[in-house]
Amino acid sequence: MSDAMSRPGTLVGQRVLRVNDGKLLTGAGTFVDDLHLPGTLHAVVLRSPIAHGRLVAFDAAEALTMPGVVDVLAPEEARDATRPLRCVWLMPGQGQVDYPVVPRVVRHVGQALGVLLATSVAAAEDGAERVRMEFEELPCVVDVEAALGDAAPQLDPGCPGNVAVDLPRGDPPDAVEAAIARADHVVAMRFAIQRLAGSPLEARGVVASWSPATGELTMWSSTQVPHHARDHLAGALGLALDRVRVVAPDVGGGFGPKDHLYADEVLVCLAAMRARVPVKWIEDRREAFTATVHGREQIHEARLAFDDDGRFVALHSDVLADLGAHPSNVGAGPAFVATGMLEGPYRFDSSGGRVRGVLTNKTPAGAYRGFGMQQAAWVRERLVDEAARTLGADPAELRRRNMIRADELPYTTHTHQNYDSGDYAAALERATELVGEGLPAAPDDGRRRGVGLCSYVEFTGLGPSAVQEIVGFALGGYETAVVRVEPDGRATVLTGVSPHGQGLETSLAQLAADALGLPITDVRVVHGDTATAPYSAAGTIASRSMTVGGGAVVRAAGRLRVKILDLAGHLLEAAPGDLEIIQGVVQVRGSPTAAVPLRTVAEKAWLAWGLPPGMAPGLEEKDLHDPQDISYSYATHAAAVAVDLATGRIEIERYVVVHDCGVIVNPMIVDGQTHGGVAQGIGNALLETLVYDDVGQPRIATFHDYVLPGTGEVPDMVVEHTQTPSPFIPGGMKGMGEGGTIAPAAAIGNALANAVPEIAHLVTETPMTPARVWGWLDAAGVATDW
Amino acid sequence: MTGPQTRVVRFAVNGRPVQVTTEVRTLVSDLLRHDLELTGTHVGCEHGACGACTVLVDGAPMRSCLMLAPQVDGRDVRTVEGLAVGGDLDALQEAFRSEHGLQCGFCTPGILMTLTGEREAGRTVEDALAALPGHLCRCTGYVNVRAAVRRAWSQLEGS
Repeated sequence: MSDAMSRPGTLVGQRVLRVNDGKLLTGAGTFVDDLHLPGTLHAVVLRSPIAHGRLVAFDAAEALTMPGVVDVLAPEEARDATRPLRCVWLMPGQGQVDYPVVPRVVRHVGQALGVLLATSVAAAEDGAERVRMEFEELPCVVDVEAALGDAAPQLDPGCPGNVAVDLPRGDPPDAVEAAIARADHVVAMRFAIQRLAGSPLEARGVVASWSPATGELTMWSSTQVPHHARDHLAGALGLALDRVRVVAPDVGGGFGPKDHLYADEVLVCLAAMRARVPVKWIEDRREAFTATVHGREQIHEARLAFDDDGRFVALHSDVLADLGAHPSNVGAGPAFVATGMLEGPYRFDSSGGRVRGVLTNKTPAGAYRGFGMQQAAWVRERLVDEAARTLGADPAELRRRNMIRADELPYTTHTHQNYDSGDYAAALERATELVGEGLPAAPDDGRRRGVGLCSYVEFTGLGPSAVQEIVGFALGGYETAVVRVEPDGRATVLTGVSPHGQGLETSLAQLAADALGLPITDVRVVHGDTATAPYSAAGTIASRSMTVGGGAVVRAAGRLRVKILDLAGHLLEAAPGDLEIIQGVVQVRGSPTAAVPLRTVAEKAWLAWGLPPGMAPGLEEKDLHDPQDISYSYATHAAAVAVDLATGRIEIERYVVVHDCGVIVNPMIVDGQTHGGVAQGIGNALLETLVYDDVGQPRIATFHDYVLPGTGEVPDMVVEHTQTPSPFIPGGMKGMGEGGTIAPAAAIGNALANAVPEIAHLVTETPMTPARVWGWLDAAGVATDW
Repeated sequence: MTGPQTRVVRFAVNGRPVQVTTEVRTLVSDLLRHDLELTGTHVGCEHGACGACTVLVDGAPMRSCLMLAPQVDGRDVRTVEGLAVGGDLDALQEAFRSEHGLQCGFCTPGILMTLTGEREAGRTVEDALAALPGHLCRCTGYVNVRAAVRRAWSQLEGS
């Protein structure tokens, strides 16, 4: 054990090894498919094979004769037994506000219709092949622009023209247009961001168990949000909240798509209630590509207006967000955030946008790491580089001159973001320096080389509940922590956030251990079970667990420390202000002989013997932390690339991140999150895309055709941090789980355009696959022969 | 209608002999996870792309989701559960912990088994790094996985 791990009071900021790695490294983790309850039946979810149509016949008679098949929950039965799932983030005027668990008219391939139960997964799959479903097919629309056309099939009566949401953002349109008209130059470009699958390596899955005797339903679920899932599950099934328990066991990654309760999960629970034995459903990978929400897909018609001297005047983007078959739990939220964070770290006289959320016959789009901010960075930072090209200016210098200065913070943007603290230009400066260092002299291999930058500001720590109310996002923005020193002197932290790889079991423990003067090994973080965890409306999403959840731990543990010192002072006949807690011992500062073990203090407190007058028994504090305001992290990423003019392949030769997420609790974890985010950003930039044919059939079914980044695509990278504390969060942390994902596409795209300026005007779409880049090179006449 | 064909499969798991009567179509990943309750072997894609289900069969890394139960009859199978002898993490596991080479931990057992195969075959650190593209990890971005490989191999060479 390192010094830092054994010495109390010094854990925040230390590279503390994770406390839960042992079980994960030995195969002793418990993921949902690792649960084996006696008598479990296995479910296959029956799904729509077509993109749009009415189910006209359903016949499970033959399936029910198959060996091992026990029950089939038919669509009509499921529809009668469930209530619609509510959309959680409702935009003003949103035309569809909920969706049925089982629809009469299917709107995408993979939509859940029923459940078949059998004694094994194999028997269930065999049985499902014999379920007969007939559809009256309807015309479908898969392209978001086509969906706006007069001839497009209309998917929802509440969304005429297939538009579910249409709202302005930022300054009034007239004001933005007037500002653009005043400027010397305008760069106008159309950007398309592809559809992605977040693809946690553990797909979704649930085990559902119903107790007829108590009327209690338990759902173990691979989820980021146990309480949120519980609330919506109870709502869909018409159960009281106290009769529904949701447990997130070990969860194999989330990245956004596991931030909600899904219709198929409701169906599996319903099947378990009918079967009266536990039911397990594990999503397979092919299923995941159509059953789990997608992310990203947006089109931006964007303009950046600027003067001859390089001053930014105005910024505007008209966004089409492809919502898929119906608004998901977050609906047009990512486009709302994309326009809200479009301004990034720069000043503008005026800025705004328009958000249209449009329905198509594809899987609904939901949350994915970077949530709109990736799109905003791609659009803004590409425009900035094209403005620099127009002016013949250095892209770094143009950024610097327009950046909000440290002495201008706090600063309110045109979309009402109250940027809090930091020094955006310092990150830019450092990233620009670092990307040039250590770059090998370019070999004469015929490839073009270039460097690209992306600077961004990130909305983290969702959020004050009052802000959630303003934007119509029906999730309380607070988090609760309970910190207890047990009678044996060890501490337990109960948290409402629900880690699934982020290492909060360690980093939250660091916060509590510092406050309580305990070694990290004496603090245990408990989470993930609605029966024991404090209520959390939002869960682990939106880079909020360390800010909002951590802030609650800081405050609860801080108050508990005060009580410990009061009681110890009473026992030691010393003034509490003279006491400190070192390694689980409360002692008079500078006089270690006048000391009492924390364990003794805890025993007294829990016996409630000999307490000072007025002191309540026990050593436990609870804090409900609704943050004072949003925390804004920021960074500049820089990429150096080599571009093969014969193949269109982009190789990343150097990647730099200079990042500020406030106070860093565990630098090892923060760097790890950053690496992982950048890797997903590289997938976004270069590799991944979900493709549909024109009748709404996905052309992606496996990880062989949906290409995720592997070790060969993700280089070692330089990650540096500055630490500007959040003024609003106890402990000073800002959120950082998503940050790495936001910038890579823009940094790499700018590097590509820098390397091959002949195609700069074409660098508007992701992923920048060799085929696409080669097309640009060919169009510009710079592609070379093999 | 006849049920699926079954067969008795005898093999060794982590040095222990086992005998299982199973459908011939059972995947080795399912055999390990569900029949033998060795749930440390994870299934990420069921089509041989992600590598999470990798186990050692007669010392060679294999995708257990692409093998049928009879294929391991008479063979020696090792899983992640067999690495920490006596409960202590082995050098490779320690390297992953020290370098933060895992986050959610779902892909980790498969990576550990591939690397164990590389180590036991006496391969170099370059070989081991070259084996990593057979695995998908969605959390770490591979940076600290590679660092863990370098640490493990430098300790091996130093010992």
